Amino acid sequence: MTGGSREERPARRGPPEGRPPGPSHPAAPRVTAPAGRRPPPGREPGRPPADLPPGAWDLIGEAVVVCDPSGVVSGHNRAARTFFPRLRAGEKLSGPAAGPLAGAAERGEESFDAPFAGRRLVGHRTVVEGRTVWLVRDASAVREREDALLAERSRSAFLARARGEVAASLHHTRAARALVRAAVPELARTAALLLPPRGPRVPWHLAGPGSAEYSGEVPVQTLDRTPRVAAALSGLDPRLVPCPRQELDALHVITGRLPPGDGKDGEALLVPLSGSGDPAGALMLLGPGRSAAAPGGRGTDVELASRFAAQAGTALAAADFYTRQTRTTEALHAGLEPQPLPEAVPGVRLGAAYRPARGALDIGGDYYQVCRRSGGGVEFFLGDVCGKGVEAAVLTGRVRQTMRALTLVERRPVRVLELLNTVMLEAGEPRFTTLVTGSARPHREGGLDVVVAGGGHLDPLVLRRDGRVEPVEIGGTLVGVLPDPVFARERVLLAPGELLLLYSDGVTEARGGRTGSGMFGEERLVKQLSACGGMPAGAVAERVELLVSEWLGEREVSDDIAVLAVQAAPPSAEAHLSRAHPVGERIKEEGR
Amino acid sequence: MSTHAGTALTDEVRDTFDRALAEADGEPAVELVLNLLDNGVPPESVLLGLIAPAQRRTGERWAANEWSIAQEHAATHISEQAVAALALATRAVRPDERLGTVVVACVDGEWHALPARILTEVLRLRGFRTRFLGAHMPAGHLVSYLHRHGPDLVALSCMLTVRLPQAYRVIHRAQRAGTPVLAGGPGFGPDGVWARTLGSDLYATGAARAADLLAARWPPERTGTPDLDRLSTEEYPALVRRRPDLLRHVLDDLHEHFRAMSAYTPEQYDATVEDLGQLLDFLAASVFVGDPRVFTGYLDSAVPLLTARGVPAVRGLTLTLRSLVRPLPDSPRALAHLSEGLRWLGALR
Repeated sequence: MTGGSREERPARRGPPEGRPPGPSHPAAPRVTAPAGRRPPPGREPGRPPADLPPGAWDLIGEAVVVCDPSGVVSGHNRAARTFFPRLRAGEKLSGPAAGPLAGAAERGEESFDAPFAGRRLVGHRTVVEGRTVWLVRDASAVREREDALLAERSRSAFLARARGEVAASLHHTRAARALVRAAVPELARTAALLLPPRGPRVPWHLAGPGSAEYSGEVPVQTLDRTPRVAAALSGLDPRLVPCPRQELDALHVITGRLPPGDGKDGEALLVPLSGSGDPAGALMLLGPGRSAAAPGGRGTDVELASRFAAQAGTALAAADFYTRQTRTTEALHAGLEPQPLPEAVPGVRLGAAYRPARGALDIGGDYYQVCRRSGGGVEFFLGDVCGKGVEAAVLTGRVRQTMRALTLVERRPVRVLELLNTVMLEAGEPRFTTLVTGSARPHREGGLDVVVAGGGHLDPLVLRRDGRVEPVEIGGTLVGVLPDPVFARERVLLAPGELLLLYSDGVTEARGGRTGSGMFGEERLVKQLSACGGMPAGAVAERVELLVSEWLGEREVSDDIAVLAVQAAPPSAEAHLSRAHPVGERIKEEGR
Repeated sequence: MSTHAGTALTDEVRDTFDRALAEADGEPAVELVLNLLDNGVPPESVLLGLIAPAQRRTGERWAANEWSIAQEHAATHISEQAVAALALATRAVRPDERLGTVVVACVDGEWHALPARILTEVLRLRGFRTRFLGAHMPAGHLVSYLHRHGPDLVALSCMLTVRLPQAYRVIHRAQRAGTPVLAGGPGFGPDGVWARTLGSDLYATGAARAADLLAARWPPERTGTPDLDRLSTEEYPALVRRRPDLLRHVLDDLHEHFRAMSAYTPEQYDATVEDLGQLLDFLAASVFVGDPRVFTGYLDSAVPLLTARGVPAVRGLTLTLRSLVRPLPDSPRALAHLSEGLRWLGALR
């Protein structure tokens, strides 16, 4: 915007006449003509027409000031008289009369750009036939537009940044804290946000200078003494209003956190936040922000504040909505997660691993449960509901509850499966499940006496002390399909240290390995299991999960993985159980 | 009976704990830890002075081929039980209201959960509210957790440099969800140099230092920016995509030039395929962070490991690296790192 050589600007020469421009003439010269090479007729540089009247100078919008070599003004036009009213021909250029022009001439500079007498003046010097000619134009309007543009650009940048910060987290409290942080220091020195009342309390968050942050709650009755804040919080009045002094005093729990000065002079703006119509909160802006100090800024930038409020309110409301939804899902979820294994059951060591396929709920169609058995030992089951996703997950919850209730009244596992089959058929459940259920009781000669029954599930594996791995063939029909199913049971004796492994098809049908499509397979599982001799049940279950996950590699887990290991406690462990430590807080189950 | 903290972790105590790990017997390990606490040994000392060093020795025994991977796994399980018992015994520790919530996670594909678990407990004992998300946390699960629970910080553990690309995914996504990240673990390199490359906001070596750092800088702020260039985003995915081809190519070459392989048992062959896959993964990670030290660092640990298993390591690795040069003409950084690796191997001859 400061260049002055408008006349000499090189013009791009168009295609020769008669030849239309276009791709048919790719070689058409697209060169730029050197300045002044072909001046248009009648515009010969330096040669004004001989009959130019002296008054013509005054038609030029720019100020023209001509000085002789000694610096005395020899002539100037009307624009020059407007810009420099005290400039006189025949006088030397002086500071009071010519301001920055005189300064630039004094210092021998080619140009200047400075304010003078209420204008922004930009001047350039040229020398024509020994005389100095200054061309000076008024750049005030341009400068104002530039300032306005820069201010708008900085507002947009602020809003974009703020949007990113406030919308980053869907957690309501974090979004609220990000919101007050984002408002400081651009909109206000301190920003406080009151959230819609939650029961008897109104949560608030505050961010002040120097990353100071506070949070807390005020009793909902406080709002009785702060009608304007209450109105902003109710979403009834979308206007931005000043916050009266007495309301700030009533909220001294919040405003007491302010640095001295903020809010005391009444410089507090109340900004209602709403997300698609519902009240999302009330923002208090206290003390002038950086935008107020920007050129042209007068007090708090109300327009910027309301734009900020519109987008931040939407983000805050979305976070609130998400958080409420999440609370609902988590409540439902909690009933579907595998229950922790019972701790310190004499004679029994347990281990489990559970890894759901990636989904919205983090739970899938596999399930297991182990409960203490009255009279010693445990009752257990592990199964797999056909299908995936939420529907399968909900059915696992139902199957688990039914199984638990049935095992309380019926000890024969085959009968339990038959009853479950009836329940599922009567409920008109379109899905079916496969499962293995059973019990493990300490045997009077040591080890565990295990009974298992199968409903169409993969046969459990027994890891013997010598490293042999034997399947327990129980078969059975799927549960929830046929009106007269066939289930079978088997009895297995586990010597101390020996282990029964139940697993879902997510283990053996995991596809991966070197080729990416090979199945993990029962053979590999048996081989790996035989190397787990002497390991505690928990480590065996984790190891199976690890091996399968490694087999899957980077590929997404497409099916649930559930593993349950029931082990006869080795003799050494028996002795220690007298001091039944609650050691079972299992890492795998946290956070799931 | 009361014993001073500095004297309670005697050699005898360490031997007892080591024996429990070796025998994969949880109960004596737990009993030992609870006794130490009863005797007034600070829980943080038990975690960092007994359990953590024992776990390091476990790793060394595996590396020296003294222990099978199953034994190492069983020992780790016992250490985890000991930490869990300690956590339960000290659950009355109250959170410090000036501090906030830290969620501790391991990188996707990372199974070495114990150091992260120990960090969780150390932070909790120092007054932070903590949550441990377990080993092998997919980035998506972590992000979903962040939106649901809104912790103030993610503490991310990375034990192996090969997981750096996954670590980046976690760091990036956690930050996008508005949560700053503290990186820790040897996977982030000497002095956490690659934690900075990946744009982590904070870095600390060891649980105690992490706790000190966080207490001094609470609440944590988002400050990090990643320093990854175009080659990272172009070459890395190509290497991941071509992994099966590259693996096949190297295997063919080795069949021809590495005669020892023709006598391999199926198990030895499988182990070799696994090793080569790992080499490719390390090369990819090295290319991703743009630092050949990731690759040479891998060679540094692979040579003794393979040697312990009776493999002529330097020769085998040299052949492998040379073989990889041919199919990678379009990957300038991978080539540079391969030749850096060859130079490193050459110095060993």
